Amino acid sequence: MSDALGPFRAILLGATIPLIVLAAWQVASTQEWINPLFWPAPSTIAERTWDELMGGALATDSFVTARRLLIGFVLGAAPGVFLGLAAGVSRVLREAVYPTASALYVVPRIAMLPLVLVAFSINDPARIFMVAFSVFFIAFFSALSGAEQVRLTHLDVARAFGAGRWRTIARVVLPGAMPSIISGLQVAMGFALIVIVGTEFLAADQGLGARIWTSYQVFDFPAMYAGIVAVTVLGVVLNYLILGSKRILAPWQR
Amino acid sequence: MTIAPPGARQEEQTRYLDIRGLGVRYGGKHGTEALRGLDLQVPEGSFHAVLGPSGCGKSTLLKALVGLLDMQVGAIEPQPRLPAYVPQGDSCFPWLTAAENVAFGLEARGVGKRERLQRARSLLADLDLGDFADRYPHELSEGMRQRVAIARAFAIDADLLLMDEPLSALDFQTKMRVQSELLGLWERQRSTVIYVTHDIDEALTLADHVTVLSTRPALARETIEVPFSRPRSYRDVRRAPGYGDLFARIDALLEA
Ligand SMILES: Nc1ncnc2c1ncn2[C@@H]1O[C@H](COP(=O)(O)OP(=O)(O)OP(=O)(O)O)[C@@H](O)[C@H]1O
Ligand SMILES: [Mg+2]
Repeated sequence: MSDALGPFRAILLGATIPLIVLAAWQVASTQEWINPLFWPAPSTIAERTWDELMGGALATDSFVTARRLLIGFVLGAAPGVFLGLAAGVSRVLREAVYPTASALYVVPRIAMLPLVLVAFSINDPARIFMVAFSVFFIAFFSALSGAEQVRLTHLDVARAFGAGRWRTIARVVLPGAMPSIISGLQVAMGFALIVIVGTEFLAADQGLGARIWTSYQVFDFPAMYAGIVAVTVLGVVLNYLILGSKRILAPWQR
Repeated sequence: MTIAPPGARQEEQTRYLDIRGLGVRYGGKHGTEALRGLDLQVPEGSFHAVLGPSGCGKSTLLKALVGLLDMQVGAIEPQPRLPAYVPQGDSCFPWLTAAENVAFGLEARGVGKRERLQRARSLLADLDLGDFADRYPHELSEGMRQRVAIARAFAIDADLLLMDEPLSALDFQTKMRVQSELLGLWERQRSTVIYVTHDIDEALTLADHVTVLSTRPALARETIEVPFSRPRSYRDVRRAPGYGDLFARIDALLEA
C-alpha cells in the first residue's frame, strides 16, 4: 500500500496531523488562549522532559515501569499461549477452562487491584501480577482462536503423514495459530501498559505512573507531561518490539 | 491335469487393494450419506483413476482410505498403512518453505534433517521447481503449490498414493508437462495410485483403469481398462485408436 506513496512521503503524511496539533497547541498556550498552567506549551514540555531525562529520574522511572511490564508480560503471555493452544487441541480441556476464562476475562483488571494488593502485600509482585493477569487472558484467547482456525486440510495432512499429537501441535497448530497469537500479543501489550500505569497511579512510589500521578497532585504539569511523553515512547518501543518479533516468529507472513 | 502357463500364474498372483461395501455418512444418523456400499478393486502397482460427478464422494473415498474418517462402514483389505496423500486444493503449510513442505512426511519417519531436505530438493527439481525450494508457498503460484504437494506425497515412497485432483489448478500446457513428470516419478516407484480427477483426458493419459462413480451416495458404476501402451503422453493418447470411443463411453457414464 505505502509502496505507491514512497516511504518518505508516507512519513511526511503521517506526521502532518501531529505537527498541526502541536503547532496549534504551542500558539494557544503561549498566547494564553488556554491556561498554560494545565496546558504548558509543547516547547516547555520538551524542555522539562529533557531536564528530567538528564537528571536521571525519568530514566529510572521508565526503567522501573518497563521492567515490571516486561516481566509481567512474559509471565502472562507464555502460560496463556500454552494453555490456549492446549485448549484448542483438547476438547476436554477447552470445555473445562472456557467458562472460567471467559468470566475472568470480562472483569476490569483494575477492579482486581485491591484484592491483588491484599494477596501480595504492596510490593512489586503485586504490580507484576496485575500485568501478567491481564496479558494471560488475551494471550489465552488469541492462541485458542488461532488454534481453532487452523485449516482442517493442514490437520489432515499432519495426520496422513504420520505426525503424532506433539509434532502436530509444534509443527502445525502453533505456526497456524501464530498470526492470531501475535496480533493478540500486540493488543495485550497495549493493555499491559494501561494496567501498569493505572496500578502505579494507585499503588507505587516509583515508575512512570507514580510520577505522572504525583506531578498531577502537586500541579507540576510540565513534569506530568514529561511522564506522559515517556509512557508514550515506551509504548511505541514495545509495539515495535512485537512487530520485530513477528519477523522472527512468523517470517512467512507478508 | 493342466499346467497353467507362467503368464496365467502371475495373473492369479496379482494382489488387490480390495474395498468392499464402503459406506460413509457425515454428521450422524440424519446427516449426508456420501458413500453407500462402494466396491472397488485396485490391482497393486497400478494407476487407478476415479471419475465422478461433483459432490458424489470422491474426496470422501480418499479420506476413508487415508484413515481420516471415523464413521465409515465396510472393509478395506489390506488396511493401508500410512499412504501418501495429496488432498484436494491448496494443502501446503504456509509457514514452511517448499522444500520443508516436501520433507514434512519424512520428518515423522525419522529421516534426518539434511537427508530429508536433500531428497525434497531433488524431487522439486524433478517437478521443475528446483529454483523455488526455499520459497514460501505465498511466493508460488497455485499450480506450483500443487506440485509441491505432489512432491510431498512422492517423498515418502509409500506403497499407496492417493491424489485428489492434484492438477486442477494448472493451465493446459503445464498440466501436460506435469502429467508426464508425474508419470516419470510413478514409473520409478510403481506404487499403487488412486487418482481422483474430473478430467476424462487426464484419466486416459495417466491411468491403467478408470472407475466412474455414480452420483451421491457414490458407488462404483463401472471400471474401464485403459489399453494404451506406456510410456504415453496426452498427445499419444489422443491419437491412439479407440480413444474417441473410450472418451465417449466414460462421458456417457458420467452423464447418466
Ligand atoms: N466434513 C463434511 N461434513 C458433512 N458433509 C460433508 C463433509 N465432507 C463432504 N461432505 C458431503 O459429502 C458429499 C461428498 O463430498 P466429497 O467432498 O467427497 O465430494 P467430491 O466427489 O470430492 O466432490 P468434488 O468433485 O466437488 O470435489 C457432499 O455432498 C458433501 O456435501
Ligand atoms: Mg473432492
